[in-house]
Amino acid sequence: MRDELTAINANRAKSARAGAGLGALNLVLLLAGGLAMAASQWAIFVHAPEEQVMGLTQKLFYLHLPLAWWGLVSFLLAGLAGAFYLAKRTPGWDALGAAALETGLLLAGLALFTGSIWARTAWNTWWTWDPRLSTALVMCFIYAGVLAVRRLDFSFERRASLSAVLSIVAFADVPLVFFSARLWPRTIHPSIVGNGGLAPEMLAVLLFCLAGLGVFWLGLVLLRCRQALAEQRLERLQILNGENHE
Amino acid sequence: MLKGALILCRKDLALLAGRGGGLVQALLLGLLLIFIFSLTRGPGEAVSPQAAAAIFWISSLFCQVLLFTALYALEESDGQRQALLLAPLPGQSVWLGKALAGLTLLGLAQLVFLPASVIFLGQGMSGSIPGGLALILLTDLGLAALGSMLGALAQGGANQAGRNGPAARESLFSILAFPLLLPLLLAGIRTGAALFAPAAGLEDYGDWVRLILACDAVFSGAGLLLFGFIYDSRE
Repeated sequence: MRDELTAINANRAKSARAGAGLGALNLVLLLAGGLAMAASQWAIFVHAPEEQVMGLTQKLFYLHLPLAWWGLVSFLLAGLAGAFYLAKRTPGWDALGAAALETGLLLAGLALFTGSIWARTAWNTWWTWDPRLSTALVMCFIYAGVLAVRRLDFSFERRASLSAVLSIVAFADVPLVFFSARLWPRTIHPSIVGNGGLAPEMLAVLLFCLAGLGVFWLGLVLLRCRQALAEQRLERLQILNGENHE
Repeated sequence: MLKGALILCRKDLALLAGRGGGLVQALLLGLLLIFIFSLTRGPGEAVSPQAAAAIFWISSLFCQVLLFTALYALEESDGQRQALLLAPLPGQSVWLGKALAGLTLLGLAQLVFLPASVIFLGQGMSGSIPGGLALILLTDLGLAALGSMLGALAQGGANQAGRNGPAARESLFSILAFPLLLPLLLAGIRTGAALFAPAAGLEDYGDWVRLILACDAVFSGAGLLLFGFIYDSRE
């Protein structure tokens, strides 16, 4: 046990240096992402032309789509991190998976929220049982369940294994959400991107918003990942401390 | 793997049939659900075929949760789980054995639920009966494959209390299984409606059957590949 504590102490300086480097990168990403998102507001309201039918409400689209897409990317990352954790059993992959899960659920929830505001103006209802909306809500329920599993008092290894398996299984729902508007043609959810439904100025602003949120997303995932790693270290030290006292 | 799975399936079926509790509880819950939903229609009013199919599958889903919880609870005393893990069987045999046992019991329960739906919900069996039953079986395959994998979540913690006790784990099984099974259930409902009334669910019939097959494949693949990571000796 003492050897293990000594090993932790010996690695502390090395970890601290690596942590400081990551912390600086994290700060840069969050600041750059935040600035890009602020600038994207200017682009949305000044550069992008106003849509003729929906007017100002259409501007929500520039926020809604990046939230939804980065949410889906987060779930892909959580699934990949889960697969790598099961293959390598490295705590870092579990931390990355946890961070991606939380961030994905946050972004997907915000995408549902902004979509609901859009629906109120476009369809005169806050919610309708449309395939895209329903599959997205079901996806949020699934990932909320996976997060609930992470809150149970399992041992670290068991919790990480369960979370990894469930993240992989839950990802089966993600393609269904993405392709639902194409699978069920009767959907009223618009599928504009890729169908040439956007003016070039609108597309440019959309890409800028996607990139801005992407940088911020990366910073957020990295921040949560570092926090999860710190939690893991604390948990381990608590266990070691408890064993030392016995 | 198949031989081990069949032995395990036979053992589970014999134990559950001998004790009776697990299957009877699941049957009663399903029947109660069908009966309670039947009270929503007034005298002489008809329940639409799609609503009847939805009630049938909701009953089946709750039945599935109870069945797989009971199947995994069989090894939760006297360290039998550790004994099962030490047995010279691949981990997938446990998953397959439990899935086969669950599938058999679910099929038996549905043999009661189906006539109950016809009687209590005022449905006719005017659709193609062999085709309808085959689609129910196909949907059951997905239910059993995922149920057998997630049922292992409810394992352990028999002596623990509070938020991590068995009750918390069993509720987690439902919380995870229900949304994951939704696409499969939706397809089951749409195709099931065609069993009660041929005109009700014929639209996009092929697409729904393909969705059932896709869910079966995904859940079976996930069970085969990932079950070993869920079912272990750790608490």
